[in-house]
Amino acid sequence: MARIELKNLRKDWGEAVAVTGLDLSIEDGAFVAVLGPSGCGKTTTLLLLAGIYSPSAGEIAFDGARVNDVEARDRNIGIVFQSYALYPNMNVLQNVMFPLRFKHVEPAEAERRAREIAALVRIDPLLERRPSQLSGGQQQRVALARALVKQPHLLLLDEPLSNLDASLRLSMRTEIRRIQRELGVTTILVTHDQIEATTMADRIVVMNAGRIEQEGTAEDLYERPETLFVASFIGSPPINLFDGHAEGGAIKIHQGTMALATPVNGPVVLGIRPESLTVNGSGMSARIVAVEPMGREVLYTAESALGIIRFLEAGPDARHAEDDNIALSFSSDDGLLFDKTSGRRLDARVAA
Amino acid sequence: MATADTLAKPPAPALNWQTLAQGGKRRRSASQSTLLAFLVIVSLPIILPYFWMVVISFTARTGGISTDVLWTACAVIVPAVLLYSVIHASLPSPRLRLVAGAVLLAIACALLIALIGDRLHFDNYRFLWRANVVEEIRSKATAGGQFPSVWTAFRNSLVLALSQTVIIITVASLAGYYISRFAFRGREAFLQGMLVLHAFPAMTLIIPIFLILYWVGLLDTIVGVMLVLATIELPFYVFVMKGFFDSVPWDIEMSAMTDGATRRQAFRLVVLPQVRVGLIAVSVFAFIRAWEEYIFVRTFLIENKNWVMSLYLFWVADDIMGVDYGIVAAVSVFYVLPSLLLYVFCQKYLTQMTIGGIKG
Repeated sequence: MARIELKNLRKDWGEAVAVTGLDLSIEDGAFVAVLGPSGCGKTTTLLLLAGIYSPSAGEIAFDGARVNDVEARDRNIGIVFQSYALYPNMNVLQNVMFPLRFKHVEPAEAERRAREIAALVRIDPLLERRPSQLSGGQQQRVALARALVKQPHLLLLDEPLSNLDASLRLSMRTEIRRIQRELGVTTILVTHDQIEATTMADRIVVMNAGRIEQEGTAEDLYERPETLFVASFIGSPPINLFDGHAEGGAIKIHQGTMALATPVNGPVVLGIRPESLTVNGSGMSARIVAVEPMGREVLYTAESALGIIRFLEAGPDARHAEDDNIALSFSSDDGLLFDKTSGRRLDARVAA
Repeated sequence: MATADTLAKPPAPALNWQTLAQGGKRRRSASQSTLLAFLVIVSLPIILPYFWMVVISFTARTGGISTDVLWTACAVIVPAVLLYSVIHASLPSPRLRLVAGAVLLAIACALLIALIGDRLHFDNYRFLWRANVVEEIRSKATAGGQFPSVWTAFRNSLVLALSQTVIIITVASLAGYYISRFAFRGREAFLQGMLVLHAFPAMTLIIPIFLILYWVGLLDTIVGVMLVLATIELPFYVFVMKGFFDSVPWDIEMSAMTDGATRRQAFRLVVLPQVRVGLIAVSVFAFIRAWEEYIFVRTFLIENKNWVMSLYLFWVADDIMGVDYGIVAAVSVFYVLPSLLLYVFCQKYLTQMTIGGIKG
């Protein structure tokens, strides 16, 4: 268990920059998710932490001590790869005991610990099997047991659920969370799936193009996205974004105009989450072009003065049909304004 | 309207699943028998000479050669094989097939013993315990003590083939791993150079190599041939091993290293076991290649104490071919036996080498 700090971390491959200016500090025992699209540098960050890659600049510290030059095998890190990376030539018990053979643990003691951790992740009936005889979920658990058996300072999970089917993913999510709480091990989860990140982690770090976009709780990211990227990446169905131009206390978007509570100038982007929009008598008029029932709610697509806009209504049944004319409104708190050039969120509000 | 109706709903043909199933079965067994017959026919030109060699080695006597034993044996074996393929195609249950096959085999063996049993003998194999067989046969034409014991040649061949295997497996696996995993300056050029080296006919180098061996004092030594052969063969095997290492995922190695293993431990404990098939295939090929080597040993080994099996066979054939085919055939059988056994036991690994991968 350890407190992890990254200070201005950078890794480049020749000309290409994989990650840059990474500053992050993770409390002991925390569960942090690194979220981002593929190629954003999240796996590079993970491998930098594991010591597989060495940083081009900056510092990695465990409990305040710089570990840049500590080799991977000495960092005492447990890692679960997306492919699980089980050793196919060993059975489950041998796989789980593998890390202990380098720590000079007595074989009997090693086996006792392996069995204990196997019971924790619930693979105890499978110990004699080979990895090729296990299902995806079981392999996942074995990989987790192997990562945990050495009592790591840090547990790294690289897209651990992406190879599982939907129902198994759901149960593994809870399972990993339970094991992490039980052991209190500092954990970093790398994923491109926002549901995985929001359901499992205490804090989320959103990465894009090798940089950290924003760090915070799921709620922070959802309600107060600091950048356009975070706003568009978090949330499903995605946020409605409208390009506009602000001038003299109003924004012109497409054919519509909106008043601003605080004046700004220049190109801006207005973001409204589909669930912030309500249908009532007043507001901007729109015509529904598509109705998509999604089970608990219905997603509508409508044409308005701002352009194409999507909104959600709770309940399994559709209350509007195609070609219905409706009026949409939203509260001024829910209209997020971004500077188009820098991508940063503006403090300004629209007067809805 | 009527046409539209017929288009929409064609009259349902009376489907008889049973007839269809029988037809399918018939076609399957017919195509299987055809395939079997085809394979038997195309393999005849390969099998027949070997079979003949074996027959000669057990039946021929000093003097001329007769083919009647061969034809008698063929007259029994060919109908037996044909009959078995018919049985195989017509009998569905594996147990019945096995019983019928065993009966057929017993009948064939009985026929063979009855027809040619009295012609079989082991005299041609006396070279195994008597070193001067050739001199005995051609007492006037050869000087005594020209031939070493066949076991000397066998030992030399074994030393050459085994050391060849050890050198190739060690160098090819380490080099293959390095090329597969590490980026270094000139890696591409190195790979291309190896391919060129492999494509280059080594035979053209035989005179320079002869001179070099002479100068360094390795001419007429097994070590000299060993080094030459290994050098010429290695590029290919390095390439094969690189292919096997390429198919071992990186993740597994990274995982081993974060688990506390050094790079070398990760290689030994995790990576090597996964290229086992490649190691076996490469060893077998390296062994057999050295075992059957002729040109280089013929050129670089001179004294009879350094003869390997191929040279032994060559000199036996050179001295008594036309006088005693039986002994030449027996030496050939003895020479081919180790490669044959290796092939038989390692067949399943060898076929995987061409695919160059490991199964998940």
